[in-house]
Amino acid sequence: MADLIKVTINGNAYEVEKGARLIDVCRAQGHAVPSFCYYADLALQASCRMCLVRIEKMPKLQTSCTITCTDGMIVTTESEEIEKAQRAMVEFLLANHPLDCPVCDRGGECELQEMVFDWGGLEERFREKKNYAPEKFLSPIVANDPQRCILCKRCTRVCDEWMGEDAIEAGGRGAHTVIGTYDGWLNCSQCGNCIEVCPTGTLLDATYRHQARPWELAQTITTCTFCSDGCQLSLGARAGEVMRSVARDRYVDGINGEFLCIKGRFAHPFINHEERIKTPLIRYRKGGRLIPATWDEALRFTAEKIRAVGEAHGADAFGVVGSPRLTNEANYALLKFAREVIGTENFTTTDAFSLAPFFANLGAPLATHRDIRYAKTIILIGGEPEELQPLTGKQIRQAVRNGGARLVIFNHVPIRLREQAAQFVHINPGTEDAVVLALAGAADDELAAGKLGAEARALADVRRLIDETEGDCVLMFGGELSAAAMSALAQLPQTLGARAGRRFLLHPLPLYNNSVGVHDIGLQNGRLSPAQLLAQAGQSLRALYIAGSFLPEQLSGQEAALAQLDLVIVQELFETATTALADVVFPAASFAETDGTFTNNAGQVQRIRQSIPPVHQARADWMITAALASALDADFGFQMSASAVFREIAERVPAYEGLRYPLLKDESRPVQAKHALAANSDTAGVLNELRQRVQTLNATGERATETPHVGHELFKPGTLTSKTPQFPLLYAGNPKPPTVLISPLYQLTVDEHLRPAAVAGD
Amino acid sequence: MFIGAIGCEPLQLRRVQLERSHTLDVYRQNGGYVALRKVLDGMSPDDVIAEVKKSALRGRGGAGFPTGMKWSFVPKDSPKPKYVVCNADESEPGTFKDRYLMERDPHMLIEGMLIAAYALGARTNYIYTRGEYRYLINIMDVALAEARAAGLLGEKILGTDFACDIYTHTGAGAYICGEETALLNSLEGLRGHPRMKPPFPAVSGLYAAPTVVNNVETLTAVPDIINMGGDAWRQLGTEKSGGTKLWSVSGHVKRPGVYELPMGYDNMERFIMEDCQGITGGRQLKAVIPGGSSVYIMPAADIIGKAVKMDYEGLVAGGSMVGSGGFIVMDDTVDIFESTKNLIEFYKHESCGWCTPCREGTDWLVKVFKRIADGDGRPEDAQLLLDICDNIEGKSFCPLGDAAAWPIQSAIKKFPEDFKRHLLPLANRAAEEKVALSTV
Amino acid sequence: MSKQFTPNNPLPQEAKVPEAMAEFSPAVEAEIDRHLAKYPPERLRSAMLPLMFIVQRERGWLDKPGVAYIADRLRVRITDVWETATFYSMFYMAPVGKYHLQVCRTLSCKIMGAGRVTEQCAKRLGIKPGETTPDGKFTLSEVECLGSCGTAPMMQVGLDYHENLTPEKIDEILDACERDEYVFSVKVQ
Repeated sequence: MADLIKVTINGNAYEVEKGARLIDVCRAQGHAVPSFCYYADLALQASCRMCLVRIEKMPKLQTSCTITCTDGMIVTTESEEIEKAQRAMVEFLLANHPLDCPVCDRGGECELQEMVFDWGGLEERFREKKNYAPEKFLSPIVANDPQRCILCKRCTRVCDEWMGEDAIEAGGRGAHTVIGTYDGWLNCSQCGNCIEVCPTGTLLDATYRHQARPWELAQTITTCTFCSDGCQLSLGARAGEVMRSVARDRYVDGINGEFLCIKGRFAHPFINHEERIKTPLIRYRKGGRLIPATWDEALRFTAEKIRAVGEAHGADAFGVVGSPRLTNEANYALLKFAREVIGTENFTTTDAFSLAPFFANLGAPLATHRDIRYAKTIILIGGEPEELQPLTGKQIRQAVRNGGARLVIFNHVPIRLREQAAQFVHINPGTEDAVVLALAGAADDELAAGKLGAEARALADVRRLIDETEGDCVLMFGGELSAAAMSALAQLPQTLGARAGRRFLLHPLPLYNNSVGVHDIGLQNGRLSPAQLLAQAGQSLRALYIAGSFLPEQLSGQEAALAQLDLVIVQELFETATTALADVVFPAASFAETDGTFTNNAGQVQRIRQSIPPVHQARADWMITAALASALDADFGFQMSASAVFREIAERVPAYEGLRYPLLKDESRPVQAKHALAANSDTAGVLNELRQRVQTLNATGERATETPHVGHELFKPGTLTSKTPQFPLLYAGNPKPPTVLISPLYQLTVDEHLRPAAVAGD
Repeated sequence: MFIGAIGCEPLQLRRVQLERSHTLDVYRQNGGYVALRKVLDGMSPDDVIAEVKKSALRGRGGAGFPTGMKWSFVPKDSPKPKYVVCNADESEPGTFKDRYLMERDPHMLIEGMLIAAYALGARTNYIYTRGEYRYLINIMDVALAEARAAGLLGEKILGTDFACDIYTHTGAGAYICGEETALLNSLEGLRGHPRMKPPFPAVSGLYAAPTVVNNVETLTAVPDIINMGGDAWRQLGTEKSGGTKLWSVSGHVKRPGVYELPMGYDNMERFIMEDCQGITGGRQLKAVIPGGSSVYIMPAADIIGKAVKMDYEGLVAGGSMVGSGGFIVMDDTVDIFESTKNLIEFYKHESCGWCTPCREGTDWLVKVFKRIADGDGRPEDAQLLLDICDNIEGKSFCPLGDAAAWPIQSAIKKFPEDFKRHLLPLANRAAEEKVALSTV
Repeated sequence: MSKQFTPNNPLPQEAKVPEAMAEFSPAVEAEIDRHLAKYPPERLRSAMLPLMFIVQRERGWLDKPGVAYIADRLRVRITDVWETATFYSMFYMAPVGKYHLQVCRTLSCKIMGAGRVTEQCAKRLGIKPGETTPDGKFTLSEVECLGSCGTAPMMQVGLDYHENLTPEKIDEILDACERDEYVFSVKVQ
């Protein structure tokens, strides 16, 4: 318990923690203190001068954002003097600020506008000419109206502190200070966080600008459908169309605060895209075309075919493939379908990265993103969170920058996060397993160092760092680890032993929004892997039921085998290489059109909520499965309710025991699934297995020497992201158009070959 | 231009008239590096700080903070390196004393810095000179090279274990970098925005290490303090503020220049009318800004016959401040509205843009002044100007906001007539006045 | 009007035209090294302003290759160079005339006749303050206090101080410049 001190604010005495920031204390106690530049957990700026208060025994008014409470401090936040000062600051800010709010895209949710409305009665004394600068584009995604800037510099600080990119800065001096870049073009990961934190209409979402007013939109809190971090966001929809995705704290308050990455914020246009599959489709004869059908006809047709295959070849001629992109509810329905309707253990998912060995040996709780922010030591083995799990990347950066955490990175690529690393160990590709062996103890240093191509001393340094950690030590790993290494890593907390003052936390870095969920549901742990399943296609396997699509690398070369199947059922948003081989295609609803849950890489089970009705004739994946079961005379009993599906999950999946939708209602208090810690693990045996594996390791190529370009993963146009027209431009290198006054979309086009999906799913 | 001492023996200026005064030889032949020898031969760092404290030397950059106290704030036990940074960013309008000290006697600055570095345990030190003074940087570089060759810089200085280096660093055109924390940002290669205080530079300055930033004239006073002893040096001036002080004098006086006066020189009127030989062209004194542009303007009536004492307390009593000691003397042809407009244009140009009141306030003030100058003044503008100033004063991030507000506030208060004339719409003014205004 | 953008290779880094970077003679490189050596090795950015002056001396202004060079030498981002350079009035982000006349306009100079100096220069060169002559030879600027108050009025030509200006002195200077006989006495070194 921290020391408590006494502070008096406006005549009321409060006990607060020693070292608390005055502005936070005032606000927590209900004394409104206005501010623009103050933003929690960013470097202090103290430049807007809005948060002025009077503190006894101090000469001038003080900025409460820079004041640390001391015992006996007597503070006044409301007085004539303070109000005059604060009104003066707003008057100054409005001097050169255009007063044409009706045509400003931020109108209705602008902090400056709200400040003026709250106070009322501001007289406009500034009658001179306002400084002028034209509106322009900083990138295909970021529009910029420099006149509206109040120079709070939240944007430059989030770019620096959250993203580590320093892409946007303030240039010029005095009244001519502008936010921008060297040549006026923004080459960055286009996360749009600068847009999100902008209090005025200076930085704007070019994908949404001038398309809707905020008050027309119904905002729905939901979970992002891209990576495994599970950011909370708010979809703004109007008349059945999703117009934007934001994380503004006025709409949503999740694990990510106002942070989102380019995908979460800008990759929503796929939802209402014209290429969505509109109706069920049936291919009546192999090699023929997919022909639109009614739901009744498609279900009847499919049920008939399933029965025929079952009668001819038995239950194990069926395979069911789920997806780490779908909800827990959808995957659970598939599992139930496989087991209870078909009666087979031939199920799997398209996730190549199975966390089964990790969870089987789990030796410590999963780290939440908040834990990462306040960790003292972070060990990252493989992976590239800044591109693949951007929230984790941001939390790591802030832990280092604002929390003094020590970051150690083992990677064969000098990834961008290396800039924050206290130690970067450049290892041979394909030798990540040896890192785990080395972390477990000094005995295998020679072997590990040899395989890694690193110095044994560096490994000892890392062990010492872990050893000396006071506070949380987070062990993170990417998809490079083998099953043996994942097991040993999960057991490291036991291997290294418990010590007071240090807590181990584990953080896997799978790729998809529900990678952890599909593991929990058990769909991942069927009899066959996707590759094995495909290998048997056309032989013992006669029919496949696929929710989503295979990854291109899984499907490539297997098309002929798939074509030999008697029946391929696919439920999808868009036509893909997998639907091209399907006999029946059901139009599935996207994450914006359904209720459900995703489980993120911190094991937090988070809700997704219906923002718009399903487009065209789409249905939620679990509903399609339930309807199919019904057509086969099996009643799932879900009563058209996602919460009923989830209740059944909670009854059958131990880690979800006791969870219900109402418990998961508040996104600001995420609920972690209770993943059981493995008891009495055979650490020696697991290590021995790992040691033997490491002995056979061979480096799979040269170490990369160049730091990958920002966005090399984020910009890859996938089935979903390519539907945002800006993505192909970014993927093509974000060329600067001839003029920045017009959107580059109207000036540049990219090669057609960059448009088709390169990565299924995204 | 005059450069010399009045009312005392020249200390800081004792060598400036000598031929080749900038060379090491001349410096050494005239008492140079004796203080350093004395320090290295038998004084502990604490002794040096004690002497400086005794001298009652106050910072000559403008704020007038006691130098010995500033030095004593540096934590002795910090494991970080410590730095002495000389502030030679002399940019305050009306101030040009440091320029001549560096041009004519660069070794005095080097010796002062070496002693300061010894007292504070600093190994590496920088002289931050404004970029426009490039010729001074070149002079300092030559002097530093001379000193290095003579064993006065580097390892084993004067055969002792004292090791120290001094480098020049260039500014690039930003008045705000005269503010010590902005200077440190600039020295780190950043934009010259002031930093939040606390932490003060003595605790966390250059590279977040303990740092003392002193003005040129402050550091050049140190060798004499050591040579004479702190007490003797203090007695040249007043009890609260010792030694001599350099005053830069410009404007409508017959003999502008850099004057070394004992601190507490007793009569500002005599200084202007006799020492500076009075007002040019047989005209009358109208106003003086005595401390560089950032202080209150003094009308002649507050000077003539008032025996204003020239030290910190005396000038405050007289209605202004010592500031950087830059006298701008104006005769009765000067329109104080115009002179104030000139200054606010300066502050707008030099506002760093960090905080709202200074950035937007100075921009607004300039626009109002321009509008008034264009003949579109309104009687209520005087109140508007005062209110804008009030909204800047005391609310800005650093003192530049105050510095911009004070000249306007005092000008409107002390010279209301000069403003009133402009605040009538052009059409309402008498014909002869229109002619007079248009020729200003 | 649509412009077809067809990169040979779709990967972002290869799609980019590599930034041209300025190159300097070994003597200049050595000079730059000397400046870098003044600061702690982990504080290379401190050399930002000195380096900009050298690059500006060599290239006339901070052009794109020059900025790229500074960013590379100091291991900072190009935008970091931009944010710093644009803060200071002595750096040029666009070309300026060979002879940059900078007349001090602040109070002491103003009351001692700075206006007449500017006027004389402007009249003779046929340009207004802030402009460059069409032949790119002269740029005329009004600048803030240069610490020459006791010797007002004054102007800087490049980095040279010219003080106690009279109409004759100004003509002399401009004559020399026009004949390309003006010799700069102060240089960045």
